[in-house]
This record gives sequence, structure tokens and C-alpha cells, in this order.
Amino acid sequence: MADPTRITDVQLERALRDLGPRYPYPPTPNLSIRVRGRITAQPIVRPRRLDLWRDPRRLALVAAVLLVLLGAAALANPTTRDAIAHFFHVQGVIVSRQPSPLPSLPSITPLDLGRRTTMADAQSAVKFKIAVPAELGDPDAVYVVSSIPGGEVALAYTPRPGIPLVKQTGLGVLITEFRGDLNPGFMGKSVGPGTTLEETSVNGDPGWWIAGEPHMIYVEVNGQGQQVTLRMAANTLIWEHGGVTYRIESGLSKAEAFRIAAGLP
Amino acid sequence: MEGRPLDDIALVERAKNGDVNAYEALVQHYQELAFRVAYQVTGNAADAEDAAQEAFVNAYYALGRFRSGAPFKPWLCRIVVNEARNRRTSAQRRTVLAERALVAQSSGDSAQSPEDAAEANEFRSILVATLQRLKEDDRLILAYRLFFDLSEAEMADALNVPNGTVKSRLSRALGRLRAALPADIRMPSAAGASDG
Repeated sequence: MADPTRITDVQLERALRDLGPRYPYPPTPNLSIRVRGRITAQPIVRPRRLDLWRDPRRLALVAAVLLVLLGAAALANPTTRDAIAHFFHVQGVIVSRQPSPLPSLPSITPLDLGRRTTMADAQSAVKFKIAVPAELGDPDAVYVVSSIPGGEVALAYTPRPGIPLVKQTGLGVLITEFRGDLNPGFMGKSVGPGTTLEETSVNGDPGWWIAGEPHMIYVEVNGQGQQVTLRMAANTLIWEHGGVTYRIESGLSKAEAFRIAAGLP
Repeated sequence: MEGRPLDDIALVERAKNGDVNAYEALVQHYQELAFRVAYQVTGNAADAEDAAQEAFVNAYYALGRFRSGAPFKPWLCRIVVNEARNRRTSAQRRTVLAERALVAQSSGDSAQSPEDAAEANEFRSILVATLQRLKEDDRLILAYRLFFDLSEAEMADALNVPNGTVKSRLSRALGRLRAALPADIRMPSAAGASDG
């Protein structure tokens, strides 16, 4: 026989609903900032350098690096330098064409953009006026490298409607600016058969549009050529104005990249 | 914490395209739910926090596999519970019971006589302690329905069980909760005993 004083299911459900908002939970921590930090930090930048010699899996890449470095070495010879500077007329950048397909690199190789900082701090650390494209507005993150002559700044923009994610960077748009006139071998680009390399003019200054298959890029990190980062890069517009070399890397079309470049010097 | 599937679908789509602001909005909206679901499993604030944070990060990187238009809330619950289970140890289970806190009084209780309020509070404390002794599956299904307000379809999704079994599972969990309550317990006059 049912005990009339016993709690029914309905009463128990009601008691639990009544308990819900009063349940003794600890206060909810604010997770959004920490989660945000981890989901933006992970694809964008890791504070370690690509160490080519210590990691045996990367030894295979050394051959590819050497190819690019050979191009840089050619610059040491003034005659070759002039020839290259004339032909590849963006200071600070060496572009070399490879006849065979490039070896593949992991899609997310650390970008090593430098130290993350504020725009004001970056400006005080470099010897040129940092240009921010009006089309994109303030970047989501600013990085600075002060160990190379004149310094280098990187402006990172996360993907957004109209700006697709670039697998190679984990970003929407990456803009780098540095004193190409002070760093002749700073950046090397190795372009395979699946990539188009087009001479172009940006705001009246000579430049290059590199598109199609990702190309290989190496960047000197400490200005001495001892540490380099090597990774695959997406569509890139690169040009030079007044001694400063500008580089826009994105998944955007040529016309869209030019629209961003129009807001820069 | 009520469901808002349309907002979620739009935010999830934006997050899938790499919009971290959209994902941050989802985290802000669901962090309390995620933390509390995790706490129901771990019974320990530090582990619940860790599990909820990890779940949000894992969910972000799993968005590519998340079916467009599917409800986000139960999917998140499933990831949170997995993370929380990975962190739970028997030692933590014991601290749950030791840590048992007094149940917060709501402002509505101020209308009651001090005796009624004390009685209702005592009853809630017994409920909390009894829930903590239940098997995790029973505690979770009761919490999903009665604390976190998931629909039956959402519960089936979150628990990864067929839709048709949710009602019977819920009813069995309620039965086991009742059986686990002290034999002499009675509904207090103020804790859900009255109609309305």
C-alpha cells in the first residue's frame, strides 16, 4: 500500500526544479578570455624557432632551405646583386623560380613573427612609419622583430566574412613591413611550377604578385642568417616604397589584395 | 541559459569560418552551463574549470566536423562530460561529500517564516547530498532536465542515447533518487510542496 506521506515523482521533480537555481555551485570562472587566447594563439604564433638541425624530421627540409640560401649567397657578389636587384626589383626579397615541385612542409609551421606587442610599442621599435591599411583597420595582433636593421613589424588579421582563413598562417591576412633597403637577403621566396609569379606595380611602385600553389618562404630571424623560419606561404603581394618593403599574404584574389594595398604607401 | 538555437547556428557558422569573436560569444553564453555540467561530474571546482576550458578549445577545433544547423548545446555538453570524466578520480569523489556546501537561499525565501526557510534549506541540502551519492548517469540526466532545462531531444543528443529511451531513463533516475533519500524524509511546506 502506498504511503501517503511518501514523496511522489511529481513532488520530487518540483523539488529539483526548485533546487536548480540554488544548487551550491562554485562561482563560474570567466573562461572566454582564456579560451580566446588559446584559439587565437595556437594557429597564429608559437614562441619557438624552427630549429632545422635538432629535429630529424626537418632535416629533409634543409635541402630546400639551401636552395633558397643559394639565392641569398648570390647577393654577396655585387655584380649578381645588381643583376638580381634589377630583375627582382623589390629590395630585401629574393625570388627564385624552381623547375620541380617544392617539397611539402607541414601546413602549420610556426610563423615566428616576433614579439607580440602594442602598436605604439612596435612603432617605437622600428625605424619607419608603420602603415595600417584603411581597408582592414586596426590589426587583431601586432608583432615586432627588433633584431634586424630597422626592425620588422607584422600585422595579423583573423579571418572574417569576406576574408577566408589561410591554412598556412592560421590567419585571414598577414601584413609584414621592414626596411628592405637595409636587409638585402632578409626574405627569400622559392616558387614552384604550380605558382604564378607576376611583375606588377603597386601604387606606382614595383612589386610582385605571387599566387596559385603555396610557395616557400624563408625569413631571417636575427639578421645574421643563423636562424631562419621556413614555411609555405599563400597568395602574396609584395612591393617596396621608400626603402620599406611591404608584404600582404592572404587567400584573397589579386584585386582584393590590391584594394588592401591601396591604403598603404 | 535558455536555448537560442537560431543565434547559435549563426555564431557556429561564423566560428567555423574562423571568426574567433563569434566563438567567444558562444563561450560567454555557455560557460556557466559548461562549468556546472562539468562540476556535476567532477564535484571539484578546479577540475570542472579545467574540463570546461579544455572542452571549449576542443570544440573549437572540432567545429569542422560539427554538422551545420545541429544544436550546439547538447554537443557541447557531451564534450564537457568527456573532459570532466577524464579528470575525475576516486579521491575527488570523496572530497565532493566532504565539501558539501549549504544551499544558497533565494530571496523568495525571505517571505517564509524562519522555521519554514530552515526546513526548506535542510531539505535542499539533503537533496544535494543524495544527488551526489547517485550514479553519475542518473545525476546527469536529472541535472540536464531539471537544472539545465534541456529538451528530450537535446538530452538524447547529449547522452548519446536513442530519443525514445530518455523518458524512461529519466523516470528510473528519479526513482533511484527517491529510493536513496532518507526513509523518514517528508516534503517541507515550502520547497516545491505547494502547487503553483
